[in-house]
Amino acid sequence: MNFPKKRCVAMLLAGGQGSRLLVLTENTAKPAVPFGGKYRIIDFPLSNCVNSGIDTVGILTQYQPLELNEYIGNGQPWGLNRSHGGVSVLPPYARSKKSEWYKGTANAIYQNIPFIERYDPENVLILSGDHIYRMDYARMLAFHESRDADITIAVRKVPMEEASRFGIMNTNPDDSIYEFEEKPKHPKSNNASMGIYVFKWSVLKKYLVEDENNPNSDNDFGKNVIPAILADGGRMFAYHFDGYWKDVGTIHSLWEANMETLGLHPAFDLNGGEGRIYARNYALPATYIDTHSKNVNCLIAEGCEIYGDIRHSVISTGCRVGREVKIEDSVIMPNVVIEDGAIIRNAIIGEGCHICSGAVIGGTFREDEQRQISVLGKNHRIEINQVVKPGEVL
Amino acid sequence: MKNVMALVFANIYDSSLGQLTNKRTLASLPFGGRYRQIDFALSNLSNAGVRHIGIVTQYNYQSLMNHIGAGEEWDLELEEGGLEYITPYSMGISTTFRGKLEAIYAATKSFLAIGKEEYVILADAAVVCAINLDEVIQAHIDSGRDVTVVVKSGIANGQKQLDLAVSLDEDGEISDMAVDYAAPSEFLASMGIFVMRKELLMEAAEACVAHNRYRFERDFILQDWADGKLSVGAWEFGDVAFFNESTEEYFRNNLAIIDRNIRHSLYRDDLTIYTRVRDQVPTYYGEGSEVDDCIVADGCTLLGRVENSVLFRGVRVSTGAVVKNCVVMSRSEIGIGAQLEYCILDKEVRISAGVKLIGTPEHPVILNRGDVV
Repeated sequence: MNFPKKRCVAMLLAGGQGSRLLVLTENTAKPAVPFGGKYRIIDFPLSNCVNSGIDTVGILTQYQPLELNEYIGNGQPWGLNRSHGGVSVLPPYARSKKSEWYKGTANAIYQNIPFIERYDPENVLILSGDHIYRMDYARMLAFHESRDADITIAVRKVPMEEASRFGIMNTNPDDSIYEFEEKPKHPKSNNASMGIYVFKWSVLKKYLVEDENNPNSDNDFGKNVIPAILADGGRMFAYHFDGYWKDVGTIHSLWEANMETLGLHPAFDLNGGEGRIYARNYALPATYIDTHSKNVNCLIAEGCEIYGDIRHSVISTGCRVGREVKIEDSVIMPNVVIEDGAIIRNAIIGEGCHICSGAVIGGTFREDEQRQISVLGKNHRIEINQVVKPGEVL
Repeated sequence: MKNVMALVFANIYDSSLGQLTNKRTLASLPFGGRYRQIDFALSNLSNAGVRHIGIVTQYNYQSLMNHIGAGEEWDLELEEGGLEYITPYSMGISTTFRGKLEAIYAATKSFLAIGKEEYVILADAAVVCAINLDEVIQAHIDSGRDVTVVVKSGIANGQKQLDLAVSLDEDGEISDMAVDYAAPSEFLASMGIFVMRKELLMEAAEACVAHNRYRFERDFILQDWADGKLSVGAWEFGDVAFFNESTEEYFRNNLAIIDRNIRHSLYRDDLTIYTRVRDQVPTYYGEGSEVDDCIVADGCTLLGRVENSVLFRGVRVSTGAVVKNCVVMSRSEIGIGAQLEYCILDKEVRISAGVKLIGTPEHPVILNRGDVV
């Protein structure tokens, strides 16, 4: 069958083991980690794709793909249940001789060249599955095409003193990139790569094949492929983005990003801006708020029963919060039961946990102290009056 | 595939809910913070594995169709079976159905006769409940009767006019049957759920319509039962069922689900109620908000005081506003310092700052969709 050529196919790198998220990714791929009360991290790049008019998305995953597979399903919640295109979850190919894991980010795309070729795209958008942000990729794509670029890399300004923690793009006045430095000791600029790339597919394919044939390569975009294209004098441009963007690859940043959704004018407004964030919704009744509960500056999703007090926290779908419970500065993931009198502060409580009455989780911190987040993995049970210390991870 | 198909009546009688059903069917009337009334009937059927459903609707059905679509949320978007809409004009009839029998007759050739199922179950979208219809179907088959009607005690009260009410003897057999009657409280009200063989229903509809008999309960069930031609059994439902047939009942029943026991009877772990999904963010509770005894859907911004109320999606209650004993539908906005008590706000109503509206439990103030006060 002949289908029209696609202008752009998106490939979402969801395969990272996410070990810095500790227990939260023990049985869950990082992109499937809950966020913001009713979302999962992957909802953000997926919704961005849909809102940007990109209707073909490949999700590359290898660690704990079951839950992610089930969550994505046929892509209907994101409007990605298309007959040609739509969303596909792409595990590593089981080859006839050996089952081959994705060796690096570039190798993951290399292994899926046949998938991309089916759509005969002009461009390929490479995304990462652990960022929280809202972005119109169509504008980046238009920029990329207007410069006739081989690669366009999205960058954002970071404070100069933090620049040495990032991949830094050094640019000419016309935004063309003349140098790429990975975590430079003495950064020349503060344009940090966001891990979002648009490639001309013909160029990317050529370099992927070359990279694969180089036994010394780590098969990584940042380390190998991009430097190789730059070394050959490829047309590489920086696309500036100044909206909210957060890598939620660590416990602290995940907690912080959740907190940044709170407030009347939050740093990251789930509700505002261009483009709605879509998620798989479950059939849950509206939330009940009891007369004894007091909720201040918090988000509470549907399907909850709230009898206790909640301050500056995110409560996800299907939670039960008992009487005289106190929750502060915390993220409660879906389907958590918190019995009467439990206290939770500065914590992330994983999906399906059960906190028995009188338990105390986490602590409080002065402004000048380093906050230590207590974390409970999925389906953990905390017994009556059990204490989980500040920063403790179970 | 279940050996049962279904007809759901979306709006045989809409008149009693006045302005709330001016532009929508009774079936698509919002209920309980995030549902439409028909969600309950469709979910009950879907949960029992009944996946071949005709929705009978006469007029104002655009909002209903928008809501249900192809029925994906209820797992009804199937190659075989699935969902069909039965409307007068699509059946070559140029007037509205005068009663259920005319609708059933209209559905005979295009819907009922085509289905391979042996049994049919009728349901009424105006009755809100969570019921295990598998048990009803099995009880009907085991009973060997012509018709089984699901009934509920505590609805008949000598004042409420019912389509059908029955009284039962000590053995649970129907001893009396009344239609269009304000039956006394010892009667049990029909919940509009009937199970029978499909052939019987099709034959009855044809025979009745040929003799200008169009009311299902009056002209078929009661008359043929009284004439000894039809054996009818009653299946008593013990949990919560709401008959939202008047504005007052609608208002009272919406607020009733704030009660824990009633809520848990309607929202059961074993009988999920499905509805059309809307992507809304979780609700935000602001610094000065005070929310007591409320049902709150997603997407609201609550900055004022809300008490004993049901808030649908995307409602905004501004700082200093007080909302007490109200039903507030989607995307309505209540301005700074406004005071509302005993009100029903239809969708997208805007209450300006400082406005005060006070109704009574019997006569809530009703604001139409899009009203600005």
